[in-house]
Amino acid sequence: MFVTRVAMEKVDRHYEKGVRELAAGVARKALEGVDGVDYVIVASSLSYLQEPQLDLGAHLASALGLKGTRALNVEAGEASGLAAAEMASALLKGKASRVLVVGVDKLTNFPSAETYAHLSLLYDESISTYSSGFGSVAGILMRLYMERYGVDRLTMAHWPALMHSNAKHNPYAMLRFAIAPEKVLEAMPMADPITLMDSFPLGDGAAAVLLESKPRDALAELVAVESAVGPASVAWSEDPLFIEPLALAFNRLSERYQVGEVDLVELHDSFTITALMVLESMGLEERGKAAEAVASGRFSPNGELPVNPSGGLKARGHPIGATGVYQLAEVALQLAGSFPGLKVEGAKRGLAVSVNGFGSSAYVAYLRGVL
Amino acid sequence: MVRTPPVVWRSRVHRYRLVGSKCKSCGEVYYPKIFSCPCGGEAEEVELPKVGRLISYSVVYAVDEESRDRSPVIVGLIDLGVTRLVGEIVDVTPEEVKSGMHVEAVFRRIGEAGERGVIVYGLKFRPVM
Repeated sequence: MFVTRVAMEKVDRHYEKGVRELAAGVARKALEGVDGVDYVIVASSLSYLQEPQLDLGAHLASALGLKGTRALNVEAGEASGLAAAEMASALLKGKASRVLVVGVDKLTNFPSAETYAHLSLLYDESISTYSSGFGSVAGILMRLYMERYGVDRLTMAHWPALMHSNAKHNPYAMLRFAIAPEKVLEAMPMADPITLMDSFPLGDGAAAVLLESKPRDALAELVAVESAVGPASVAWSEDPLFIEPLALAFNRLSERYQVGEVDLVELHDSFTITALMVLESMGLEERGKAAEAVASGRFSPNGELPVNPSGGLKARGHPIGATGVYQLAEVALQLAGSFPGLKVEGAKRGLAVSVNGFGSSAYVAYLRGVL
Repeated sequence: MVRTPPVVWRSRVHRYRLVGSKCKSCGEVYYPKIFSCPCGGEAEEVELPKVGRLISYSVVYAVDEESRDRSPVIVGLIDLGVTRLVGEIVDVTPEEVKSGMHVEAVFRRIGEAGERGVIVYGLKFRPVM
């Protein structure tokens, strides 16, 4: 299947726009001049708490004037966007030849304390008996990483610094300013050792990709999407710093494709520690070495393997259910040579990677250029 | 989380006595409870040990609204031997808490459910005296 059109809204505090306006904006752009779609799949997660609308896909399709089309909703927490793409890929092998995937979420309809309470529902609800705050598990994991591998706090801070420096060039990014690693340590503590600068900003967003079975006018080929579920709690993983379902999804892809030899990756970095866990769980870096590799420039735009040239969740932003769709759009544009931010020159193969929480589920999408 | 009376009521035993699941075939223990073990075995309820060792922890400043007056809250990953769990660490300051510390379960108030007025109790962990 092929990515033929993409559209993104800048991640921001869109107080003037609701879920429907945000979603319709990108959907209309992606559908300009397109003669109907077989399915609309809406990926959304927090919107069900922030701006509740059931059967969202159908309501959106109807508002878009897509009379008689079919609509579905996908909710898979932070991985909703890539989950929708996986469902679209199954449909495109069957009765559909054109599917519009729209990711949308609002995080600013409530004061941030309440939004963080909504975000804790991404983790296993049955263990949320402690009023411990959204960042607590990430804080536990980050300390474990630093103590086990003997990595200091400043070395860890190179991840957010890299994301900010990348996002500066991305017109769709929420935080378009550079920060020095030292500033990450000076920011407000969130869940020590994590500061606010280790996590994503609360912003709204929407992105759309049009997926077709035929390659005409394609930006990139979406070769495959793989996924797996994992332990609901970090307390259950054999090693809490290893995202089992991500390794499994990645291995399912590498059995069929050369996914270890890609030119760029857009991956899930809800926290600094998540980025490092994702890199190591996919085998893109040795265990315990990712923080130093980031600091040494291995994943910088001109490094060996550019990661998150968009700025990632950390600086592009993370409108939960929409994020995977942003990643797909960004990778497709990179492979077509038309990403409006930092370009990875000559990129031919790329990955988009999403995880919910710390691994209740994980998704990997593999894309190839068509040029 | 939702804290209406039925929700709080039906989880009381698990919260008060730290009841998890044990697989009848392979013996693996889980908290919170599971319905079937990955090995395919059937799970039964089991009361967990009340002492453990702190693997790692976080000092949380960005807490939920209801915990604001006792911020920062310390949350830890605790090794109970048979399994691990994430719990709140109390009766210790951020300066005193250390990975590797031995902790024991203690019955405490967890929070209140706002206007519906249910006061939720459960187990937290404190350093072993």
